[in-house]
Amino acid sequence: MATAGRPYKILVVDDELDVEPLVLQRFRRDIRAGDYQFIFAHNGVEALEVLNTSEDRIDMVVSDINMPQMDGLTLLEQIPKVDPNIRSVIVSAYGDMGNIRTAMNRGAFDFVTKPIDFEDLKVTIDRTLRHLEEWRAALSARDNLVALQNELNVAHDMQQSILPTVFPNDSRYHLHATMAPARNVGGDFYDVIRLANDRVGLAIADVSDKGVPAALFMMSSRTLLKGTAIGAEDPGEVLTEVNSLLSEDNDSAMFVTLLYAYYDPVDGSLVYANGGHNSPLVVRADGGVEFLPYTKGIALGVAPVFTYKSDSFKIDPGDTIILYTDGVSEAMNEGGEEFGTKRMEDVFAGKPPMSSEEATTMLCDALREFVGETTQSDDITCLTLYRPRSAS
Amino acid sequence: MDLAVTQEQGGIVVIGAPERVDGTNARDFQSALEGAIADNTRAAVLDMSGLAYISSAGLRAILLIAKSLQGRDGSLSVCSLTDSVKEVFEISGFDNVIPVRASREDAIAALN
Repeated sequence: MATAGRPYKILVVDDELDVEPLVLQRFRRDIRAGDYQFIFAHNGVEALEVLNTSEDRIDMVVSDINMPQMDGLTLLEQIPKVDPNIRSVIVSAYGDMGNIRTAMNRGAFDFVTKPIDFEDLKVTIDRTLRHLEEWRAALSARDNLVALQNELNVAHDMQQSILPTVFPNDSRYHLHATMAPARNVGGDFYDVIRLANDRVGLAIADVSDKGVPAALFMMSSRTLLKGTAIGAEDPGEVLTEVNSLLSEDNDSAMFVTLLYAYYDPVDGSLVYANGGHNSPLVVRADGGVEFLPYTKGIALGVAPVFTYKSDSFKIDPGDTIILYTDGVSEAMNEGGEEFGTKRMEDVFAGKPPMSSEEATTMLCDALREFVGETTQSDDITCLTLYRPRSAS
Repeated sequence: MDLAVTQEQGGIVVIGAPERVDGTNARDFQSALEGAIADNTRAAVLDMSGLAYISSAGLRAILLIAKSLQGRDGSLSVCSLTDSVKEVFEISGFDNVIPVRASREDAIAALN
């Protein structure tokens, strides 16, 4: 991955001197391959100097928060004055919600927590750079005054670029996700969030409406969710918080249906809260099928003050849980019939999948067969979790 | 978009929803609703008996109208939902935010 024939230039700002050799060591392959080039600074003042004097454009900044002379949060405020198109990722202490939120408000694109997991950092860097490419494409689309249609496509690609494609590697559960975007219709997203104690947060969401405003609303929903999820444990509490943040100044009446859950691989429990989203389908190891009970939540952004409740559900060995958006259940065939939840159950009844990928494939194949030649009118997104019959 | 609009006594207007509201006509639908609501409209009732499908973009149009009416001490309620639309209201939790009535008569009675 490189940009316009040169490596991406990444400025790492940290006052700890051992960060530089560590980054150079961990990313040596990417550096040798000409994908990344790292530049280092040890506080905000030095970082600004580099940004102002560097011959080539710096593409992104990875910055610590607490540093002498000028801290990371102040640096964040200054970066757009140098170049509004630089993307920043903040490194913060785990659970430091106050600083993370301030950083996000000041335009940070994402954050990673300490101690730095370099695999996670690489995923975050790549995602940020992908987003940057899409953003640049959006800017040049604007410059060229191409049709609005084109801009919508780019907005959609921007959304796609932030979806995770690498999942935690844990033998106690397997994840798989797929998203088939309808042209120009944007708004679905899913996320997988690493939590403390090996838990994993799962989210699936659908933003009302489409186009650039929806894309932006989706971006902020996803960021607020991720930030809140690592600070608060209970999914109901997470939705309550995200809802209150999204409802502030929401004059455009955008909303997002969002189901958030965490899975605990230690005991197989799934704790979830549902903000107006379609209820996930559970396929039991014996081929039994059922939908998770609703938790009576409202779509987020609709009612500023609302307390979301959590419920919990046990995932046993061999069970699969399928999170999906209404692009699945409301897909239409040539006769104008909806796929519907009954057909979803029929796909799996008596045919328990043996992996998360198989579950996704089974569902997508059945959908494809059902809709036939009909044009897909909405994004089709699903995220599946499979608990192996025996952990190996 | 032409909607069937009936003025009732007491500043109440009943508006008939179209057969389908999705991303392609949600903005038209919203403008048509705005057009049906006059300055002296105290309450609007959206009759959904003919509505077979509503997408999230359609729900958003309804939410915008509800907010604008609430902003001037008015209200919006919906009535006569088909089964599939009722399900959409329940899943999305919109039934907690916008009053859902069984019939036109119920909706009007609830306002008086």
